[in-house]
Amino acid sequence: MTEPFLSIRSIRKTYGQVTAVKNVTMDVAEGEFMTFLGPSGSGKSTTLYILAGFQDPTDGDILLKGQSLLSTPSHKRNIGMVFQRYTLFPHLSVGENVAFPLRIRRASQVEIAERVKKALKLVRLEGFEERKPALMSGGQQQRVALARALIYNPPVLLMDEPLSALDKKLREEIQFEIRRIHQETGVTILYVTHDQEEALRLSDRIAVFSEGEIDQIGTGQELYANPATHFVAGFIGDSNFINAEVLSNEGGQARLSLSGGTVIDGVPVHAGKSGGKSVLLLLRPERLSLSTRPLDSGLVVTINDITFLGNNIEVTTHTGNGESLSVRLPFGHEAISSISRGDKAWLSFEPKSTHAFA
Amino acid sequence: MLLDFERLAGLRPFLIGLTVVVCLFLILPIVFIAALSFGSSQWLIFPPPSWTFKWYQTLFSDSRWLYSALTSLKIAAIVTVLSIVLGFLAALGLNRGSFMGREALRALFLTPMILPVVVLAVALYALFLQLGLAGTTIAFIVAHLLIALPFSIISIGNALEGFDKSIEDAAILCGASPWEARLRVTVPAVSHGIFAAAIFSFLASWDEVVLAIFMASPTLQTLPVKIWATLRQDLTPVIAAASTILIAFTILLMVLAALFRKGRKV
Repeated sequence: MTEPFLSIRSIRKTYGQVTAVKNVTMDVAEGEFMTFLGPSGSGKSTTLYILAGFQDPTDGDILLKGQSLLSTPSHKRNIGMVFQRYTLFPHLSVGENVAFPLRIRRASQVEIAERVKKALKLVRLEGFEERKPALMSGGQQQRVALARALIYNPPVLLMDEPLSALDKKLREEIQFEIRRIHQETGVTILYVTHDQEEALRLSDRIAVFSEGEIDQIGTGQELYANPATHFVAGFIGDSNFINAEVLSNEGGQARLSLSGGTVIDGVPVHAGKSGGKSVLLLLRPERLSLSTRPLDSGLVVTINDITFLGNNIEVTTHTGNGESLSVRLPFGHEAISSISRGDKAWLSFEPKSTHAFA
Repeated sequence: MLLDFERLAGLRPFLIGLTVVVCLFLILPIVFIAALSFGSSQWLIFPPPSWTFKWYQTLFSDSRWLYSALTSLKIAAIVTVLSIVLGFLAALGLNRGSFMGREALRALFLTPMILPVVVLAVALYALFLQLGLAGTTIAFIVAHLLIALPFSIISIGNALEGFDKSIEDAAILCGASPWEARLRVTVPAVSHGIFAAAIFSFLASWDEVVLAIFMASPTLQTLPVKIWATLRQDLTPVIAAASTILIAFTILLMVLAALFRKGRKV
């Protein structure tokens, strides 16, 4: 087995009584774009700061190309980082900011000039050398910070929610730039965000953090189609959860009874539950179909509201015992013209496309 | 706002008048001293019967005055440097550290501003006598440093408060050692605070007289001590000339500071 490029092994971090990171283990391949996705306080930023060397883990190790990083101080790790806040040096021009890592490394004037030019070209800010950071927009400042972090060719680039201070439109623009830069440079990126859309747009793989642990690591598609936990299912994509009862469970395929007496078969169930236990069933709004005619295996619901959202239509409904379910129907769906608030309708779905969580 | 100047229509003439009186009260003594230093009367008569530069001639021809001015400059300069270096370190610790008794330590650092100077002077004098340092330049510097340091800690501390530590962290990840990052990034970023600290520290020492009287010896006298000592022997317009120079230098520094602050805002 070949040595993984970057290996995070059983990292734990406690502050007195508080555990910020419980147990984080992952391998990252060279050139991979790995995103740490999770709500605030889930330990994703702490893990990143441990990689940067600003915090020491209570337990565990980090190996880069087989060598432990922990005994190396931050300034000798040769790791690049872009921060959440704007961190350009206020007294230096853009050119001098980008040149700073090379000046510290005592590179020659000629080399510095050439590489600063190249780095600014990479982030499409050619000709901004003389500009002071205070006179630039937030997006431009983060691009300069990116150039400064990449100019010394670090093996790993850390990004701690670098776009969270920007507005939505600018954020999407710079996400595109980050993708392009990742492809052009081939640098390994560890990216922290709480925005699932950003994570899906950028990453090769996503590690979903929850309460100091990784719930699941996988591509966006894997996480969406096959969530390992209730938390991942709720965090990636839109989701409905309804209560269900496990009647039998054979090899992870369960027979469930839903409210209203509907029984479905062949639902993948997670965290191994035997019969008679209650579970939460995940139903994706876009994978439900709605019918105005009674169905044998359907779930009976009452229509609450119908909202037109452009390319699709959201129908909110509730079941007999008050659980709410939203359904996403494509524009022009035949049922739309014949339903209105308060009507009864039948929802159906492919059992294999759903998941049950204990 | 309720107390908006525009809304105090009836009170405005009164407020303007009060301000003028207060300003005159503060400024007139300075103007009088300056005027008297150019007056020909040796009894400090106002208005002066005629104008002259002779007191300045006397002042500059007396090497003891020049020597005390140089002593003042030297002590103030050393105090300024020590005050900003120690002030920066102390402010950094108070700002970033998370140790027991941090707030108590901050308060302790600022006590020289609140404590009656004469109490401080007597205590220091007794201490330096015991240590055999009374009347030395070192004692003088330590005494003045004590009253200059709070100014540095406050103004550099305020500047650090407005400085995002992530910027220093960014410099460290760029390859700078922690102290290299502080010197090359943090210090320039808080330079306005350091500049203010320098001006106030210099002035705290430059025109300080109470501690100076206790720390002085016949051979070690700062300008304010020299003025004080001369004043007790005889009331001569040379004192007015020396005072005018002292004041002029102080005003010059304040103007410089104001210009610097204005330059930063543009």
